[in-house]
Amino acid sequence: MQPQTPQDLVLHAQDIRKSFGTHEVLKGISLQARNHDVISILGASGSGKSTFLRCLNFLEIPSSGSVAVHGETIAFRNGRIGDQRQIERMRQHLGMVFQQFNLWTHRTVLENVMEGPVQVKHKPKAEARDQAEALLARVGLAERMHHYPSQLSGGQQQRVAIARALAMEPDAILFDEPTSALDPELVGEVLKVMQDLAAEGRTMIVVTHEMAFAREVSTEVVFLHQGLVAEQGPPEKLFNNPESEVFARFISKIR
Amino acid sequence: MAFFDTLAANLPKLLDGTVTTLALTGLGAAIAAAASPGLALLRANGPLPAQLALRAYISFVRGTPLLAQLFLVFYGSGQFRAELTALGLWGFFRDPFNCAVLVFAVNSCAYQTEILRGGIQAVAVGEIEAARAVGMSRPTILRRVVFPHAYRIAWPALGNEIILLMKASALASIVTVFDLMGRTRQIFSRSFEFSVYFQAAVLYLIITACFVYLWRFAERRMSRHMAAPGRA
Repeated sequence: MQPQTPQDLVLHAQDIRKSFGTHEVLKGISLQARNHDVISILGASGSGKSTFLRCLNFLEIPSSGSVAVHGETIAFRNGRIGDQRQIERMRQHLGMVFQQFNLWTHRTVLENVMEGPVQVKHKPKAEARDQAEALLARVGLAERMHHYPSQLSGGQQQRVAIARALAMEPDAILFDEPTSALDPELVGEVLKVMQDLAAEGRTMIVVTHEMAFAREVSTEVVFLHQGLVAEQGPPEKLFNNPESEVFARFISKIR
Repeated sequence: MAFFDTLAANLPKLLDGTVTTLALTGLGAAIAAAASPGLALLRANGPLPAQLALRAYISFVRGTPLLAQLFLVFYGSGQFRAELTALGLWGFFRDPFNCAVLVFAVNSCAYQTEILRGGIQAVAVGEIEAARAVGMSRPTILRRVVFPHAYRIAWPALGNEIILLMKASALASIVTVFDLMGRTRQIFSRSFEFSVYFQAAVLYLIITACFVYLWRFAERRMSRHMAAPGRA
């Protein structure tokens, strides 16, 4: 283990369990994300990977376990959030990008990116606007900033969603299958942006089916199978030398 | 022409009645509009007792004739004159205009609440999740995401409700309010000139047409994000 300060540990999830009715989707999953980690979470559909990601920022409230952001443990009990303010504060540190983009359709691209900083962080509008314009330029959508989401392609919408997450200056970004809803020819432009973010040292947790991304961009791969971590480690080791039979089968099928 | 002569003679009174009709409808609809967002939220997501109470209220309003509700308040309040006087409320209930505004507000509020509840429940869950994910508080999510969408979705139905209320406000003439219908009946009872009803109908039509125009204008403004050139 490399030496580390506690500040390095952005996110620490321990023994997360989640049941829907009698069906236990997550059976005790732990994860640590340090600064600059890019963690890919893989797994067949139904393996619980999206549910796990949603438990990290409490869009889904775990049945048990613990989540700590920068060492601060999030309070919850019996499927209820303990302290709404704490959750809201914590979520500002964890950006999220959704499979279906989930842009606010009644606001322009620029307004989407400004919304969080202005409404949540109470940034002055002019400042938020400058920042939003810079971020949109970064994801290649400066010319589209006065468009509405319905006027953009899926790939463009997802890039706006990434800019929206970045505008909150989060310590880590959660990606929930960010390319799964895109037409094949649009996947590349989104992956490119994500690759750039990884290259500049952003902390990212990515639920994905993109094997190339998991293999080449991420620093760690977690493979979920039936609600448990079946395999975990650096990508080069996992992909070349899978320990579990399920993961070996999984990657052979994908290839 | 005789028609225009009688119109010229009737017009001052008819316009006076029109103002009263607009005031009745406007006040009733506005009071209902002020109360409905909170009630619609309770109706959609509130605690069970609140939901049950609201459902009872909405069922009562929707299931009984507006005229009966009007009689209930106008004649009913007379039965409790002593009590209302003691409470200092008799001055309010004595005026049929006030009774009518109260009944219309309570009546329209039930409909507007139910319409808005539908709008609230139709807001895309993903957009609310995105708002939660950036750390927005619940009031901010309501103000910035839920209500803007809910009102856009509910807008045509709300406009329809207000038009219905405007026409139903003619019932106020039965409890002696001199609204447009009240003035019309008054003129007819003195002159037996049937064309006054036609003149009143034209005035009602003009009110409705102006309202529809303004409402559609607002709707277009609210729908700018939906007009996607070149895309379905």
